[in-house]
Amino acid sequence: MADNFREECSNSNTKSLVPAKELFLNKRKKGKEASSQFEYCKVCRLNHDQGQRHKYFPSHKKSLSIYLSRFESRLADVRFFLNNPIALRPENDSHNRFWCIFCDVDVLEIGSSFACNNAINHLSSADHLKNLKHFLWKYGGVMDCLDSFRILDTDVRKWKKKCVSLKKEAALSEERSVGASSGISNDIHGNHKIGNFHHFETNNNCSISSSYLNDVTPLQHSTHEYQIFHPEISGDANAVYVPTTLSNSTESLYSANNLNESRMNQQPLSSGSISFFTRDYKQVHQSGGQGNEESNPHGNVHSGAAPPWLDSSEHSLMDYSLESVSAANGSVPNRSEKSQKLNPKRVGAAWAEKRKIEMELEKRGEISKSTCHPDWLPNFGSVWQSGSRKESRKEFEMEKQNLSKGGTQYDVSSEIKPYISKRMHQEAAKK
Amino acid sequence: MPSPSSLFKRLNSSKKSPINQSAMSYLLPTLSKKAEVDSVIRDTIDKVLVLRFGRSSDAGCLQLDDTLAKSAREVSKFATVALVDMDSEDVQVYIKYFDITLIPSTVFFFNAHHMKMDCGTADHTKWIGAFHRKQDFIDVVETIYRGAMKGKLIVNCPLPPERIPRYQLLYKDM
Repeated sequence: MADNFREECSNSNTKSLVPAKELFLNKRKKGKEASSQFEYCKVCRLNHDQGQRHKYFPSHKKSLSIYLSRFESRLADVRFFLNNPIALRPENDSHNRFWCIFCDVDVLEIGSSFACNNAINHLSSADHLKNLKHFLWKYGGVMDCLDSFRILDTDVRKWKKKCVSLKKEAALSEERSVGASSGISNDIHGNHKIGNFHHFETNNNCSISSSYLNDVTPLQHSTHEYQIFHPEISGDANAVYVPTTLSNSTESLYSANNLNESRMNQQPLSSGSISFFTRDYKQVHQSGGQGNEESNPHGNVHSGAAPPWLDSSEHSLMDYSLESVSAANGSVPNRSEKSQKLNPKRVGAAWAEKRKIEMELEKRGEISKSTCHPDWLPNFGSVWQSGSRKESRKEFEMEKQNLSKGGTQYDVSSEIKPYISKRMHQEAAKK
Repeated sequence: MPSPSSLFKRLNSSKKSPINQSAMSYLLPTLSKKAEVDSVIRDTIDKVLVLRFGRSSDAGCLQLDDTLAKSAREVSKFATVALVDMDSEDVQVYIKYFDITLIPSTVFFFNAHHMKMDCGTADHTKWIGAFHRKQDFIDVVETIYRGAMKGKLIVNCPLPPERIPRYQLLYKDM
């Protein structure tokens, strides 16, 4: 029985040893297999089989820094609203969306009363922090920058206090201005509102023009055109975006933060009333007639007028400024600088640069279009010749000359010898 | 893919028309003069130039032309494709210079510099034969473009050996 027990023990021992070894080997195999399996890196946007090593590659690190910097710029907007809470109109809800790259979730602002309300709550949540940590672990980010990608609880508390105080202010101001503002806001057919609009226009034309080059134009034209010229702006809420530009300009017409309250003619402004202007303006546009004609002397796309860049004879101040703003906004961000900077070490770089200059001069007409020499041949490395490509071209040209002189193609004088490599030559020399 | 015989019939009928262009290659420019070839080589800047040497009547050329015509647009951002008619007398100097003996032969250029590709075959200076798939052609052109942008004059072929057409090169009929 003892023998049996010993046998069993020994058997069990041998059994336990082998599986561990097998397990170890299997783990290594699995590790290798795992590294050879393809996974998708959402930072570099490519599939790779490098496994965990991928996050240390310089190309990945570069893509990661670009990816995170883009998110940071988006976060900067949210932080602005964290520091300056502004009421959000329901119609602008859809514009104020936020995509969180760590959680892969789209944070919508439907039903929220303040701009970036849901985004701020999301960024301060524990789930977001967890996902952020996982992302940084997976994609190799620096753990020190955790705080730059989330919002701290202390900031959220301050923001909430500001929101509460804003609500109270709005409620108070609404009570005060119920008579005036409600009358105008409800009266969509009233003319005095349009009159006010033009009053603003005439009074503040010069102040507006000075701010054009720096900032987005105030709503002096139809919102449709506004959105055409500034598509990146129309992505956000109209009511929400206005404050960011106005905080920069001191002389603009519409002030969110009551900078120029005195300029407003009998219109007490609060955060809620900016959207009042945008709504009013839309209604002015819809009513058509005078408002549009006076603000758009040259017509627009719908009226079939010529575009401003073709109409060079009469350039109103607004058209010129619109053009300058649209040119500033439209051209630079669209062109990526990478495509313009080609690798100087690429094949034929010097030749390409020279040829580009030649072609440009030919286009301008400074030099006549020169047809290349009939005997020009491109750089070609032949199969049967050793040495540089110039030598192969020279040999070819020599053969051509021989042919033209009447020599036979198969030259008897050149003996056909077996190929001997450099190494063989060296070995023969050593011997 | 239509059968070669039906294509041949179409070609024969097209020969009667004043404009003698092959059915498959009407999308791609066909060059028959040295000056045209020179200008296309010199004017293609920072893009791979794919020059196919062959005849529009040859079945192998037709297959390659079909692949080239279908893929030309997809590679248009970094490559230009052109066909050279081997039967033209003006172009014979290029036939000799590039040592073209088997058709179809495709030679690659980048900024007027010849690009070689090591496919495991005897001739690295050109691609001989057709491509099995469109994607093969696109992969080859992409590899050449990437190598050229890095400054390499010779690149390795990305295709597996089974999809590379095999042939034998003879030196002076030996």
